[in-house]
Amino acid sequence: MIDSDSVKQLAGHPFDRRDFLKVLGWSGTAVALSGCGNTSIEDGRETVVSYVEASDYMVPGIGVYYNSTCAQCDAGCNINGRVREGRVLKLEGNPDSGINKGKLCGLGQAGVQHHYNPDRVREPLLRNGSKGEAITWDKAYALIAEKLAGVQGDEIAFLSGGMSGHLKVLLGNYLDSLGTRNHFVYEAIAPSVVRAANVKAYGVEMPRYRLDKAKVVLSFGADFLGAWVSPVHFSQQYAQFRKGVDGQRGVLIQVESKMTLTGANADRWLVVKPGTEGVLALGIINVLGTATGDVAELVKGYDPVRVSRETGVSVSHIEKVAALLRMRSPSLVLAGSAAEGYAHGSQNAAAINLLNQVLGNVGKTIEAPVSVPFPQMAPAKGNTAALKSLNDGLAAGKYKVVFNFAANPVFTAPGAMKFKDNFAKAGFKVAFAHYLDETALQADLVLPLDSALEDWGTQVPEYMTEGAQINIQQPLMERLHANTRGMGDIVLALLKQRKADEYKGFEDYYAYLRGAMLQNKGALGGGGVDDDTFWNETLTRGIVKLAGATGALTTHATAAGLVFPAHKEADEHYPLHLIPGVTASLRDGRHTNQPWLQESPDPLTTIVWDSWVEIHPKKATELGIVEGDIVEVTSRTGSVKAQVYLFPGIHPEAVSIPVGRGHDAMGRYAKGYGVNPFQIMDTVFEAATGELAMHETRVKISKTGQRVLVVKDEGAAGALQMGRKIASRVSTDQIDLSKEV
Amino acid sequence: MHRFLRLPILLVGLFMAVSSYAANNSQPALTTEDSLGPQVQQPIEFPHNRHAGNHDASDPAKGGMEINCQYCHTYARRSAVAGIPPLQKCIGCHQSIESVRNKPRIVELFKYWDAKKAIPWKKVHDLPDFVRFNHERHIKRFIEQQDRPVQEACGYCHGDVKEMTVARRQKPLAMGWCASCHEKDHPVTAEGGAPIGNQAYWYSFQKPVAAQDAAAVIKARGPNDCWQCHK
Repeated sequence: MIDSDSVKQLAGHPFDRRDFLKVLGWSGTAVALSGCGNTSIEDGRETVVSYVEASDYMVPGIGVYYNSTCAQCDAGCNINGRVREGRVLKLEGNPDSGINKGKLCGLGQAGVQHHYNPDRVREPLLRNGSKGEAITWDKAYALIAEKLAGVQGDEIAFLSGGMSGHLKVLLGNYLDSLGTRNHFVYEAIAPSVVRAANVKAYGVEMPRYRLDKAKVVLSFGADFLGAWVSPVHFSQQYAQFRKGVDGQRGVLIQVESKMTLTGANADRWLVVKPGTEGVLALGIINVLGTATGDVAELVKGYDPVRVSRETGVSVSHIEKVAALLRMRSPSLVLAGSAAEGYAHGSQNAAAINLLNQVLGNVGKTIEAPVSVPFPQMAPAKGNTAALKSLNDGLAAGKYKVVFNFAANPVFTAPGAMKFKDNFAKAGFKVAFAHYLDETALQADLVLPLDSALEDWGTQVPEYMTEGAQINIQQPLMERLHANTRGMGDIVLALLKQRKADEYKGFEDYYAYLRGAMLQNKGALGGGGVDDDTFWNETLTRGIVKLAGATGALTTHATAAGLVFPAHKEADEHYPLHLIPGVTASLRDGRHTNQPWLQESPDPLTTIVWDSWVEIHPKKATELGIVEGDIVEVTSRTGSVKAQVYLFPGIHPEAVSIPVGRGHDAMGRYAKGYGVNPFQIMDTVFEAATGELAMHETRVKISKTGQRVLVVKDEGAAGALQMGRKIASRVSTDQIDLSKEV
Repeated sequence: MHRFLRLPILLVGLFMAVSSYAANNSQPALTTEDSLGPQVQQPIEFPHNRHAGNHDASDPAKGGMEINCQYCHTYARRSAVAGIPPLQKCIGCHQSIESVRNKPRIVELFKYWDAKKAIPWKKVHDLPDFVRFNHERHIKRFIEQQDRPVQEACGYCHGDVKEMTVARRQKPLAMGWCASCHEKDHPVTAEGGAPIGNQAYWYSFQKPVAAQDAAAVIKARGPNDCWQCHK
């Protein structure tokens, strides 16, 4: 197999394209020669395996379709899988879904590679020195019971990713039975600061954004077409937004320090000095001049000249944005992950939300969310603040038994947290895992999980669209490996250890799920239908749609508590901001072992199978760096080495490294490809919420003297079009938008 | 260093080209239209003659039972691939045929059934992966539209199965052989233009466009575009 190193070596040495084509030519001839004639008919060699017992609907060569739920991210898209001869082959969106309306993103498509992945854990593994020894499930359960015996509730910790539905309820019951409240919910990339700011501004964590109703979208670093909240849903709204409301094509303005996929689609992309998004929002409010009361008082100081000086956005641009917002209403202003990733992230988000209030968008393009009538099933959310408190406990040696599910903190915790060292201090570590990832490798007991296409479950998405919905997850095919188990089955088995009497009626998680759903049949829209019909219809649809309750939004604009920190001087030793890039396909790196995701080029740089450091061409010239130079990016916490990519879409005072790559475990397609910027992140926390300020790490760059050819799809000349244009264009300031449509 | 590696790499490529061609040549010789495919050893010697063969009035115990091919090969009319009948199908009848219950082949059959294991049949008719042959279309055409006898229609490609024990390939199944039929003008109506078989029903949707000959017989070709099979 050709790994990235040898590709680079090939690329960096005079084994040129011509040689490569020569070899290819000869081997091509070989294939052509041997493929001639009908000698490839292999009668009597292959075995054809028939069914022992076949259902009527099973016909070889004909696909059967099942509805389920995508588990690749937590947007909760409903999927429809094609199954042929008992094997799932292809996933598409479920057309009935209000979230994704029959569409599915590339990350979701790769879900089959999660299922068929050759590196999945197949047996329960117990640590024996540095090796994992395969044991039986009975032994594994007995071991957990033994380790939990006599342990106090507060000496147990359960770390998990975001979870919802019946699994969350069941896990809650288990943790109650253990007498512990230590359930830490940790998603490395979650809009926690924005959620907190939204509660203050609108009274809810995540309102429904209606891009399709807006005439202008002003997005402060919200990559809603790529990796933010519910990208498939937003992409469809975006298409509607571009078609226009009242014949006015929507105008997208993206403000950020590093261009995202959404930024690349914007009509106007404004680069701001990292962290000054909130200041710009206040500047726009100032120019709008419609604010009253304490808001007017607050923005008085933020005149365009001062704002321009602090943010780097020119006065004329600030005025144009304000003019456009004034001219076209309703608009929508979004606070994204780039705005929240600073120590004053809450202030940024609050200022941006304030702009929405001033523009009167609340209630027009920002609607109250719906919620399911079962609050216990609502998603459990969390971010690095939860991990920090677990980490502090681990550092103090507080925990005797630690469970980990659907999170990989050894990989995603900021390096300065030293999570790996602290994790080692826990007495007994259990990891429920699909892969032997970095965290599972540190565990004492690894329990193999079913893939999402083999398991039962329910999910309540955080971001719901038309109405409330409960997503059904059902197996699309039988288990590939005999000894993996569903998380629900495992939690149920563990619960039976504690409360045998209460749960003895449930043979497995399926029985529990079915029972729980049937119990609330009336509330789930199945009143008056018999149990089997209701259950079969529910599974057929894959979604339970509910009326749901809609709350009210706060529409009162207030500047209370909005104070920006004093302008900080540049750091002398670490002059550059490190912006961790969140890509649409890799996200926090939990799916990096799916080769389609490694192979699909990054939309902006077209780089595959490797990490890169984005540097502005001007800065690169200043530092004497060219594309392909291997540079060392050093922060106070650590350093990584990666190839340089010259990228005009980044602020000259910042560099960006995408997250998700740089695994040193997990599997053959993830291990050893690229670098992990989480490793060098400082532990700077957001002041109001205590979440990690992901964009606060400062770095410096030094050349290592090595240079490679960057492996990417675009032309080697940096996408120059040799003077030709793909399409003629006019810059937006030369046209009067109101006359254009 | 890599520069002088070029020649060896080219040579390795050439060697692989030659050797892979040689390796393929060790396969059985090309079959002709008249020659048979290899005799395939099956886990159970399935007697097609006993199931599909003609009834023998003089000695019913020796003759065949004239079972329609489609009774067991149910998938052929529903899908592109014919598949192999599920084991359940065999047992469905044989669990109530006491007279042969202790015959060695049936004992073997029930061993698989009791273990709920599939019988590892060997594939007798194989086409390369770049060919898409569709069973369903052929059955629709010959059996449903033209009302030809089932054994005749299946026999175009599979030969006279009622004379075989385990199936053996009878035809080359190569492109030229397929085209020899698909490029021929076939009468699709009887003299006077009357539809053959059940075609009147199908003609109500789409009439053949070919011109009539002197005897007022409409002749048409089977589909013979490249993409019909090479999709």
